[in-house]
Amino acid sequence: MQNVIYHRDILNQSGMDMLSLCKGQLEKAKESFVNHDSDLAEEVIRTETRVNALDLKIEKDCEKFIALYTPVAIDLRFVIALLKINSELERIADHAYSISKYVIDIDTVIPPHLLKAVQFDTMFETVMNMLDHVTEAYENKNVKIARKVFKKDRILDDLNIKSFTVLEEEIKKDNGIIAESLILFSVVKKLERVGDLIKNIAEDIIFYIDAEVLKHQKKK
Amino acid sequence: MNNLQKNRLIDAAFKMVGMLCTLLGILILVILLYNIIRVGYTRVNWDFISSLPSRKPEEAGIYTAIIGTLDLMLLTIIFAIPIGIGAGLYLEEYAKKSRLSTLLEINIANLAGVPSIIYGLLGLGIFVRFFGFGGSILSGALTLSLLILPIIIVATREAIKAVPPSLKEASFALGASKWQTLQKVVLPSSSGGIVTGIILSLSRAIGETAPLIVVGAMAYVPFVPHSLFDTFSVLPMQIFTWTTRPQAGFAIAAGAAIIILLGITFLMNGIAVYLRNKWQNKLQ
Amino acid sequence: MAKQIAITMETIIEQSLPMDEIVDKSLKKTHTIEVNGAKVWYGDFMAIKGIDMMIKPNTVTSFIGPSGCGKSTFLRLFNRMNDYVDGFRMEGKIKVNGRNIYKDKVHVEELRKEIGMVFQKPNPFPKSIFENVAYGLKIQGIKDKKLINDRVEKALRQADLWEDVKDNLKKSALALSGGQQQRLCIARTLAVEPSIILMDEPTSALDPISTSKIEDLIFELKEKYTIVIVTHNMQQASRISDYTAFFYLGNLIEFDKTKNIFTNPKQQQTENYITGRFG
Repeated sequence: MQNVIYHRDILNQSGMDMLSLCKGQLEKAKESFVNHDSDLAEEVIRTETRVNALDLKIEKDCEKFIALYTPVAIDLRFVIALLKINSELERIADHAYSISKYVIDIDTVIPPHLLKAVQFDTMFETVMNMLDHVTEAYENKNVKIARKVFKKDRILDDLNIKSFTVLEEEIKKDNGIIAESLILFSVVKKLERVGDLIKNIAEDIIFYIDAEVLKHQKKK
Repeated sequence: MNNLQKNRLIDAAFKMVGMLCTLLGILILVILLYNIIRVGYTRVNWDFISSLPSRKPEEAGIYTAIIGTLDLMLLTIIFAIPIGIGAGLYLEEYAKKSRLSTLLEINIANLAGVPSIIYGLLGLGIFVRFFGFGGSILSGALTLSLLILPIIIVATREAIKAVPPSLKEASFALGASKWQTLQKVVLPSSSGGIVTGIILSLSRAIGETAPLIVVGAMAYVPFVPHSLFDTFSVLPMQIFTWTTRPQAGFAIAAGAAIIILLGITFLMNGIAVYLRNKWQNKLQ
Repeated sequence: MAKQIAITMETIIEQSLPMDEIVDKSLKKTHTIEVNGAKVWYGDFMAIKGIDMMIKPNTVTSFIGPSGCGKSTFLRLFNRMNDYVDGFRMEGKIKVNGRNIYKDKVHVEELRKEIGMVFQKPNPFPKSIFENVAYGLKIQGIKDKKLINDRVEKALRQADLWEDVKDNLKKSALALSGGQQQRLCIARTLAVEPSIILMDEPTSALDPISTSKIEDLIFELKEKYTIVIVTHNMQQASRISDYTAFFYLGNLIEFDKTKNIFTNPKQQQTENYITGRFG
């Protein structure tokens, strides 16, 4: 059974790799957006190919693992969870990519007071916290930590809803920042989606470890 | 030379040696047979078989001896086979495995090797004297039965042991009782081995002389025995007696008798082998 | 409270029914096995350390576990095949179709008409195909030739062997291939019309195609019979059984619906075994 355990560990590690890769993409995307750093944005764009390659590799390795080793119980749940987590991470990286594309394609600097108004830093910090939680939960097979993201996601949802009115106000105050506001609004939405995706990842981890299915449930 | 060549050489050498030994054995047998036939064939005719023994070699026949041998074989078969198979069956299938049964197993195997003259003495004491059957065909048959019993028992046990336990399991699992299993599965499967044991033991019995002398077979019985309690003679005895006589005619007679005896033995074995094959094929 | 009533009723029923009568035909088709506190010793060695189990009718239950865990011993309790092993001793209650089968008055021959067994290595008798399948019937003293012929054909059809052999039933059973021989052994068992069939690793000596045919057969048989199968092959257990029991060192570690055992077992030992972490 050593062969199986070896391949299981490789899969596990590739999950970790994907997590850290996507985290890096998000961080860089934020920095490039806030500072309008197009060099950093370029980096994110280039790294996207690595993300896609890892995504494909993980999918293929999962398929191979199922075919060759007919996993059951926790092993099976792990592979199913990994497939889903992988796909969710790929979409998170996609959002990071889109944010970076804004920086390159649209040569507009977002005024800092706008960022402050929507509490962009807080939002982003929340997202990164959530990502750290699921990373730790994944690495240490800790369900408790995974559950922490649900509460945090509500903060994110809250700020997201508020951002509409906040930006509306700002536009009323100053007509010239419509373009910047629209871009910011779009990025805020993306952050909210990333939050949702991380929540899904947490559900997948809880399924894998505890065999508890939290999908589509109202209260968590 | 290297190992491979050495091994090949040893292989070939062994094969040669084996062949030579076999040829030697066959050669000796052929020489024996040839000599016997050369000596006795002139006298092998119906007359010889149907004449009573006499003091004159030309008139001496083996009628009594043949009747004695055939009667003896028949009786021995009747006594020894059922008891032998029954005992073998019981010991192998019913008796509990214990120190006592192991002891029994060893002793029965030993009995097969006891010199036949001892059986003769046993027969003398029990059948001739104690039961008072006298030096009769009955005593002779019973003695011979004792003699071959161990062989049949051991052969039966070995044949039964060779039946795969999986067959017995299958029978039990279908709801068969122990006796049904023995009757329908074990005995048919082991019949080959049992019959072989019977062949071997009868072949031995037919040639026994010493125990029969002790029990009272006569060398000169000029009449045909009519009842079980009559005095009797057998072919080996007759042969033995004739070879001790000085007249040349008796030597020829002895040779002829040996040919007849061999003939009977081969016939008996032949029938048994035929029966065994027939039963084996019925199973396949 | 309800449990107390049940136990009292059970005692009353047991005491009022005379145990030495022939199996009540009406009980025959409930085909369940109920085990309470079964313990088995071979001499001083305790092979089964106390097991409770309930096997439902018309289900396939598989017994899995590492070598020497007691699953075959436990299986053989149901048709009392352990009786032939030196030093065998058991305690506890085993009820087959409602009757305690270790009570003195039960005849094993009667019991084995209710419960058939198929073994790991195909073991047809060195007789003809017909004689093999008819064996169980002739043992019972059935002489009616037409009945025997009908039952033999029915059994061979059920075992999916009829088409292969119908042209020459007198052929020796030993001339069949391994997979066919095993199906013959199954037909032999079916001819007796038991209600429960026990199988001790029935396909471990067969090639994948024969194995697959027999697994299909088991699936069909489930409609009419209750089947308990010991297997070393976990994929087989997961493919064909409704319930799975995991044994380890003489104990029953877990007994549950197969789908639960293989997606989310309750005991860590079970999970370790089925994921190959040991075993």
